[in-house]
Amino acid sequence: MKYASAVVRCHALISELLSPEQMRRLAETENLNAFIARISETPYGEISIEISGDASIALEKVFYRKFIERISRIIDITPKKIASFLQAYYYMRFEVLNLKRTLRGSFGGTPSQQILESLIPIEPYHVKDFKDLVEQETIEEIMKHLHGTPYSNLSESLPLYKETEELWPFELSLNNIYALTILKLVERLPSPDRALVKRIVELETDIENLLIALKQREMVQDTRRIQSLFPTTFKFNIEKMKEFIESKDIRQFIIGLGEPYTEILSPIYEEDVSFVRSRLRQQIYRTMKRGRSMNDFGFNVIMAYLVFCEIEKDDLVGMSWSKAQGISPENILKYLVIPHFI
Amino acid sequence: MSSMSGVRPTKGYLMDLKRRISFIERGTEFLKLKRDHLAKELSTSLEVLRGRRKLLLQNLRDAYGALTAAYLSLGPTEVKSQVRAVKKRLELEVLPRSVMGVRYPYVKFLSKPQVGAELDVTLSHAAKKVQEILEELIQTAEFEARVERIADELGKTNRKVNALENTIIPSYKQVIKFIEDKLDEESLEELVRVKLIGGALARRRA
Repeated sequence: MKYASAVVRCHALISELLSPEQMRRLAETENLNAFIARISETPYGEISIEISGDASIALEKVFYRKFIERISRIIDITPKKIASFLQAYYYMRFEVLNLKRTLRGSFGGTPSQQILESLIPIEPYHVKDFKDLVEQETIEEIMKHLHGTPYSNLSESLPLYKETEELWPFELSLNNIYALTILKLVERLPSPDRALVKRIVELETDIENLLIALKQREMVQDTRRIQSLFPTTFKFNIEKMKEFIESKDIRQFIIGLGEPYTEILSPIYEEDVSFVRSRLRQQIYRTMKRGRSMNDFGFNVIMAYLVFCEIEKDDLVGMSWSKAQGISPENILKYLVIPHFI
Repeated sequence: MSSMSGVRPTKGYLMDLKRRISFIERGTEFLKLKRDHLAKELSTSLEVLRGRRKLLLQNLRDAYGALTAAYLSLGPTEVKSQVRAVKKRLELEVLPRSVMGVRYPYVKFLSKPQVGAELDVTLSHAAKKVQEILEELIQTAEFEARVERIADELGKTNRKVNALENTIIPSYKQVIKFIEDKLDEESLEELVRVKLIGGALARRRA
């Protein structure tokens, strides 16, 4: 096996991740100080944050840094094909998110320093320098700076942006670029490694598409958008999305989707859209656990480690924000993933 | 009687006082009407306010729950970033309005926030909930200010009515009675004097 050492390393690293019990105890801490004190007893170690700023944002950065550090450690020890897939899957995702944040900041007239602070701390991937990008005064100038990168097609959305004076044409275009890149790279993965990744990518995309369709139900229909809203579809094509947008009985439609979609989307009945994402992450966590147990010495282990890391990061970000806000544990536990696997 | 020291016991002054007291009594009647009206308005408004606050509190709880869920789903930085895309913000103008002479603030909406189409579904769901209660929240605040001003005015009117009924009108009545007594006394003295002079003149003629 080409990546046996990476698999063995991932097995060791998985054991370093926070257990569901530890996560639950963290979620149940009384306040932010207790949360920071308890997390210092874990492999995260001592965390020091600036008292003057927003503590939850500072902590979010800490957790992101840790996650990026974990990804890069794995990328460094995996073969090229897998490494390039992992880089695109994570780094490009973060870069797309950073580009969206840059565009939003520029659109809203946010000072460049503030935009820079809101970016995910990753090393440049396709974009050479974000510092240079955030200092551009207009969206058009940002587009010029993206020439020669995989995001150069973004400039095709400029006329629609000017017409609508909204950023959604760029955001959709970025989603499209990311989805196409990932799909291409998934296909390049060795076939035994492809199945689990594909299952996750497809599930994520399908659910996100359905959530976009759910939002469209409440908006004025724009036919130009419907096509571009769903650049990539898997189990449910654009026709199915249209059917969802136009369906009168949402419950019946969701039941008709079958499992695991019905279970993941069922919080929509109670208008708890955020819980859909938690259910999706829970499903991914479960799938990865199952995938890992099915093949303890394959790519599944590497992917499982990274997925677990990301879910841990998301849970910790959510917890730290809720602690900073003084929200009681019972109000957030439902939205967390790992504590449910005790 | 020290309070009567500056009083001129003349018919002219008495007539002036009587005119004044009838004006004050009429004013008191009007104030009583205003007081009753304000009291009625206050009790109705309090009922409405209680209902509105209960509903608002529930809606606020729902909106806060949705916002918390959106933060947990996206993380604080992403929420802040997406919020930056909201271009049209809430603009208000506070104008004065008056009911029965009671001035209270009236809030006029100049522009409502326009939630961008690019907001994530969780955030757009929370934003919709917040937007729904925003108007309700401002209207409740406006109504609360109105109720407060009515309660203030009711207190003032009540104090005025009490002062008029218990102090001013009785003191006027006292002065009027004093002048009337004085004038009666003077006219009696005058009558006795006339009678005595009349008797003396009759005796001289006889």
